[in-house]
Amino acid sequence: MTEQMGFLFNAERCVGCKSCEMACKNENSTPANVNWRRVSSLSTGNNLSISCNHCESPECFRVCPQRAYVKRRDGIVMININRCDGCMTCVSACPYKAPQFDLEKQKASKCTFCLPRREVGLLPACVSACHTGALSVINTDQPPKNTVPTIEGFPDIRLTKPSIRFRPVKEKLRYWVSSKE
Amino acid sequence: MLSDVKVFKNVCPRNCYNTCAMLSYVVDGKLIKVEGDPSHGYCQGRLCGKGYAYTRYVYSPKRLRYPLKQYPRGSGNWVRITWEEAFNLISAKLLELNHRYGSNRSLAYNKCSGNVGILHYATEGMFNSFGSHTKLRGNPCMSAGMDAVEYSSGEGRSPDPEAMTNSKLIVIWGANPAWTAVHQLNFINQARDKGAVLVVIDPVYTATAATADHYIQVRPGTDGLLALGIAKVLVEEGRYDSSFVKEHVVGWESFYKYLQEKVSLEEVQRLTGVAENVLQLLADLYSQNDPATNWCGYGLQRHQNGGQNVRAIYTLSALTGNVGKIGGDFYYFHPSTDFFPMNLLNLQGPDDGQVSRALDINNYPSQALSLVDPPMKFLWIAARNPLSQDQEVQDWTRLLKELEMVVTVDLFMTKTAEASDIVLPATSHFEDFDINVSYWHHWLALNQKAIEPYYEAKSDLEIAKELTRRLNELQPGFSNFPSERTAEEWIESEFTSEILRLYGLSSWRDLEEVPAKLQFGNNPWLDLNFKTNTGKFEIFSKNAKDDKLPALPRFWAESSDLSFPLRMLTPQNITSIHSQNWALEWIGSDKRGNVVTLNPQDAVQRKVEDGDLVRIYNAQGSVTRKARLNPEVLQGMVIIYQGGKEPVNSLLSGLSADMGKKHSGSEGAALYNAFVEVEKIVRSQI
Ligand code: SF4
Ligand code: SF4
Ligand code: SF4
Repeated sequence: MTEQMGFLFNAERCVGCKSCEMACKNENSTPANVNWRRVSSLSTGNNLSISCNHCESPECFRVCPQRAYVKRRDGIVMININRCDGCMTCVSACPYKAPQFDLEKQKASKCTFCLPRREVGLLPACVSACHTGALSVINTDQPPKNTVPTIEGFPDIRLTKPSIRFRPVKEKLRYWVSSKE
Repeated sequence: MLSDVKVFKNVCPRNCYNTCAMLSYVVDGKLIKVEGDPSHGYCQGRLCGKGYAYTRYVYSPKRLRYPLKQYPRGSGNWVRITWEEAFNLISAKLLELNHRYGSNRSLAYNKCSGNVGILHYATEGMFNSFGSHTKLRGNPCMSAGMDAVEYSSGEGRSPDPEAMTNSKLIVIWGANPAWTAVHQLNFINQARDKGAVLVVIDPVYTATAATADHYIQVRPGTDGLLALGIAKVLVEEGRYDSSFVKEHVVGWESFYKYLQEKVSLEEVQRLTGVAENVLQLLADLYSQNDPATNWCGYGLQRHQNGGQNVRAIYTLSALTGNVGKIGGDFYYFHPSTDFFPMNLLNLQGPDDGQVSRALDINNYPSQALSLVDPPMKFLWIAARNPLSQDQEVQDWTRLLKELEMVVTVDLFMTKTAEASDIVLPATSHFEDFDINVSYWHHWLALNQKAIEPYYEAKSDLEIAKELTRRLNELQPGFSNFPSERTAEEWIESEFTSEILRLYGLSSWRDLEEVPAKLQFGNNPWLDLNFKTNTGKFEIFSKNAKDDKLPALPRFWAESSDLSFPLRMLTPQNITSIHSQNWALEWIGSDKRGNVVTLNPQDAVQRKVEDGDLVRIYNAQGSVTRKARLNPEVLQGMVIIYQGGKEPVNSLLSGLSADMGKKHSGSEGAALYNAFVEVEKIVRSQI
């Protein structure tokens, strides 16, 4: 059985609280301008929380002249900081802005799927921090039922085949005050 | 490597619903990361975004390291002084004023919710220990609503919020948990997973509203009228809980008559902006879902009719038979500290034959300026930033100019600290002991000392101990503060046998292992024995009438200001708690912080375009922001978030809410009865 670790993002549940983004910084002590996970609001009005998608065809891996990227057997894509010479090719190649440039170290860095936590049986910090169950870990080779490969506002998935699945947003009812009193 | 990591228990002491228990990871005396404490049943191991950024708070380059003095006040000519010099300067002033006036009544403090840990009442305890002085009274946050709850059920108690997992309908009136009480979403979502419907009623389309099944926009300050409208529909169609009303409610006939004669659905629709079919939908939801929870936020009581708004919504809970029902009921504020002895707050000072006086927190500077015999001369500010948050900014500025000495205790050089003579650096909650309860959930947790104080920072308690010791050296018997008592001994003293019983503890040391939950009264009205005079739920409140308020939850329209036609709401931003914004460094450039959001039609009338620099002004003052146009914002309304460099409090009206005196000694603040005008800044003006 093949394994490809990835994330399931429940767009229906995410409220954009940024706990995941901050928990990642707290766990990994990333500098202020380096955000391995980022929460944003989409033009559709929904929120999106993304990190590295540990893609099936990682563009970072393909373009890196230093061969700093590796793809592990469990599908996790890692960058070897010692090899990175800060050329920023991956930073511009990744459709999801996952590799972030650390100005201080002059190197790229990105989500590690919280490998050190994984080694002691813990979930990634972002997943543990999520209050709504919007983020979870899955094996994307066996995608759960009622999930879809992308949602509106997510970058094109054809290039890299990202290891992320989505639960789509349901229709909701809104009643606005229509006119001035 | 890992063996060098020490883990401590801490509690986030911010003025926030969640009061999270956290685990602090310390290496070589340095805090390296924080986590939620998984043994805390409410927080369940999670923190909010701001909480995860706490290392930025402790090690912020902006944190104050040493006591500072400036001369003249406000000049920015700061010099570092030792604690000894600081205590000597302050003591000399206190003693001089004591001799000049023959009492300590010219000394005042202004301290509130910057850190709500129980030991932080050391400031109040220190002033008590001086004998008579000038106190602070009131509560700007929730007091109007608290009185409303007390008039109805006799006591302000909220049920266990974890019970919301049992709800079939959750109606959130004007609260935004996605930004301010994010842990509650866990319990709400558990209910939703079992089929519960989530409704958000709010003038603002918040992040919480965006996830709700139904979002209903309502005009600010008319929530109570909407509740009365729903009540009228339910009553007219016979869809209310008549047996509950018969058995447990006082004042049904007069309320029925009031609904019949005075509440017109046409008027409800016109004033609230909620259409007839939506009113009907709400009535259907309440009558078809059992149990149904009402959660009433604090914004809708920051109005001149705020208390009445809360009473009307609470009445809806009673009418539908939900009060006292697990998974139903009415949520507002749980006064957990009321159970504790609060020995610091209630420290008995020496009897100097005079009585203390108190200033109302919402009109503090104007009242302070008018004091005579003796006038106020000395002010101690702790856990507060009134120049960024309070009403009456002009009076504040004047007061701070006129006083003989102003001392501020803070972690940062706030706007208020900048206007003080002496600034004393405060510890963060990682640097001293404390215990914390929440005004929302029912848990109690211990805060340990995880790291040494940052540079020369001291806690409010440590400052009280050392300053009173110095004062007594200079003038024996000046203060009766027990300056030898340690933080842990103060904690011990809070744990009476009653408190131990309530929390199921054998000793407070049990909290070193796991936080504890209140074992009794998690559902205060389960037995439907209300704490009112009649023992029933009082829709008609004689106490309210005696206090010159309407006996019934009546609606009345608030005053508005024709020359400033736009109503301004000033909610919390996701990045901050009021003016406390340490997380900004990580959350990133705060786009909302310097923005005013307005409806495109209001913008067109003012020739304002998206991105324009605008001036927002009224009779009180003026601030500058970038305009953002958003059709989701109600016409006639603007939104500005709190805090920042040019805080929006300079535009607040200074008006009071209708209630608040009963619970906190003074009326609540009608912070949302603020009206402004917006104009584009043309280049020549810059
Ligand atoms: S998301 Fe970007 S960095 Fe991560 S594996 Fe895919 S291409 Fe590489
Ligand atoms: S898995 Fe770990 S490194 Fe990756 S985004 Fe989540 S917290 Fe950050
Ligand atoms: S923690 Fe969860 S709900 Fe909050 S922003 Fe992240 S994914 Fe969304």
